[in-house]
Amino acid sequence: MSVQARNNVKVQGDGPATMVFAHGFGCDQNMFRLLAPHFAGRYRAVTFDQVGSGLSNVHAYDRNKYASLHGYADDLLEVIEEFGTGPVVFVGHSVSGMTGMLANLKAPDLFTAQIMVGPSPCYINDGDYVGGFEREDIDALLEMLESNYLGWSSNMAPAIMGAADQPELAFELTNSFCRTDPEIAKHFARVTFLSDHRHDLPKLQTPTLIIQSSEDIIAPVAVGEYLHRTLPNSTLRVVENVGHCPHLSVPGESAKAMNEFLATLA
Amino acid sequence: MSGGLSEAWSAEIFDVLPCGVIVTDVKGTILRVNKTFCAWVGLDASELVGQKKLQELFTMGGRIFHQTHWAPALQMQGSLAEVKFDVRRKDGAILPMMLNAVRKSDGGIAVDVITLTVAEERNKYERELVAAKRRADELVEKERAAQLELEDRALFAEQMIAIVSHDLRNPLSAILMGATILERGDEVPAAKRQRLTKTVMSSARNAQRLIEDLLDFTMARVGRGLSVSRKLSDVHVLVARTVESLALAFPGRVLEHVSVGEGESLADDDRVAQLLGNLVSNAMAYGDPTRPVTVTSAISENSVRLAVHNWGEPIPLETQTTMFHPMVRGDVANGSARSVGLGLFIVRAIATAHGGDIQVVSTAEAGTSFTFTSARV
Repeated sequence: MSVQARNNVKVQGDGPATMVFAHGFGCDQNMFRLLAPHFAGRYRAVTFDQVGSGLSNVHAYDRNKYASLHGYADDLLEVIEEFGTGPVVFVGHSVSGMTGMLANLKAPDLFTAQIMVGPSPCYINDGDYVGGFEREDIDALLEMLESNYLGWSSNMAPAIMGAADQPELAFELTNSFCRTDPEIAKHFARVTFLSDHRHDLPKLQTPTLIIQSSEDIIAPVAVGEYLHRTLPNSTLRVVENVGHCPHLSVPGESAKAMNEFLATLA
Repeated sequence: MSGGLSEAWSAEIFDVLPCGVIVTDVKGTILRVNKTFCAWVGLDASELVGQKKLQELFTMGGRIFHQTHWAPALQMQGSLAEVKFDVRRKDGAILPMMLNAVRKSDGGIAVDVITLTVAEERNKYERELVAAKRRADELVEKERAAQLELEDRALFAEQMIAIVSHDLRNPLSAILMGATILERGDEVPAAKRQRLTKTVMSSARNAQRLIEDLLDFTMARVGRGLSVSRKLSDVHVLVARTVESLALAFPGRVLEHVSVGEGESLADDDRVAQLLGNLVSNAMAYGDPTRPVTVTSAISENSVRLAVHNWGEPIPLETQTTMFHPMVRGDVANGSARSVGLGLFIVRAIATAHGGDIQVVSTAEAGTSFTFTSARV
């Protein structure tokens, strides 16, 4: 199976350098529909669906391979090797911030900059470390995902709900967003929210931007600050935003933070 | 207005809808809520409007789901349908609810309109479905495991038949050939007759031992276990006698007996001799031929320990974990099969039938020791 088919890779723009965007748990590459266009003029912007999410090929889902973030990191390296022109700027949302770091540690020459949007190296509180959740919260999430079989795969919403008054969405309506096989969603949630990569942070040498929302229950400000303290070469930008997806709710602010960071590297 | 609702009713309809309705801003802050929802969760509208966000009504698991899936999906596609959340009532009880949502514009400002329906029964039903699916998966898994075991057993039986036939052919050929020559009677020189008779007898014994092993194997594996009849006896004497007769079978090799402690214990003499016979044959076959094989019998206050030790190459770790299983050695397909690996399986069956166990320790420095331990009485 080609990397293209496996990860439903999309390329837009044709700049000299490549920017690769990776979505996290719960959604798909559509998450970057408002952010990626900001860069498609100057960069070759590559987006893709993680295996098991969006329009990736679910037959490529191997529970052993994806039992840790390393499976996703290996996929990312293959995407970069096939679709990147030279070393890339990597943009990873949520858990993919860590996936990008793992990929970077395997092949640092492929990266010129890491941009982590709402990242967290560990979601569960541990001694002095504040991750934001207790183990029971994560178990409750997993149980909820199990009993939410329809919430994931329902593509009826737009048709039923009469969102057809937004004609710009007409094409996507037939595909729906953020669809995931419920079984895979549950496994991905487990792998994501039980991951702990705090010990890998000090190894990351590439310049890194942390885009932190001012109010985010998934990745609280304390986590962004911890990352900033622990990563050897990082910049922390807190953007005014409620929620876990600043690239969707405040794409302009997010793009501005990225541009200013990238300017410091030039 | 003919056939329509009265004006009073039209004003009230929001509050009497048989579903909860909440209107929020895009951050989730509640702007308006109907009475149906307030009644369901036991909260007053004043405790909700401007005070709480939609996601704050959910359990923690629900809030994570809301942030990672609901919020971005709603933003991108403008609507969502049939998503279930557990809503916390004022009294702490959990109410599963099915949510639909649509993003609308209120004078240029985006608002989300959410309907909520209690989904208690559906929740139960879905849980049952999930549980049933899990049970079905487990059954399929069990079935597959049973199928695999069956295939293993069938393969093992085929291989065993192939090897037993092979192993029986040699002694039977020797017996037939010997008997054919012996039939000529006096024309065969006496010395040769004597040699042939010995060959016939030892070949017959080999064949007999193989058949006995097979019977024991069958008893231990598919029957009610190996039969033993334990009697009080002096294990040192039994071991000394066994070692003496085994030594005869391995001329040119040194077989020592070390005894520690004293007293009688319960054992099946024949089975213990068989266990030692198997272990000593292995030690002779695989141990360093230039160094002695040692049989130790040790009696302590409560237990009896019999050990067979040899020097030489240690047994690889991966072999140590599987060697007590009935196994076929050699490659049957190309005809190089030598013998059925029943010896250690039977050793373990004898140990188990005595209520004891068998352990192996094998290193390059200390050599290889098989140790049988059981209670004295």
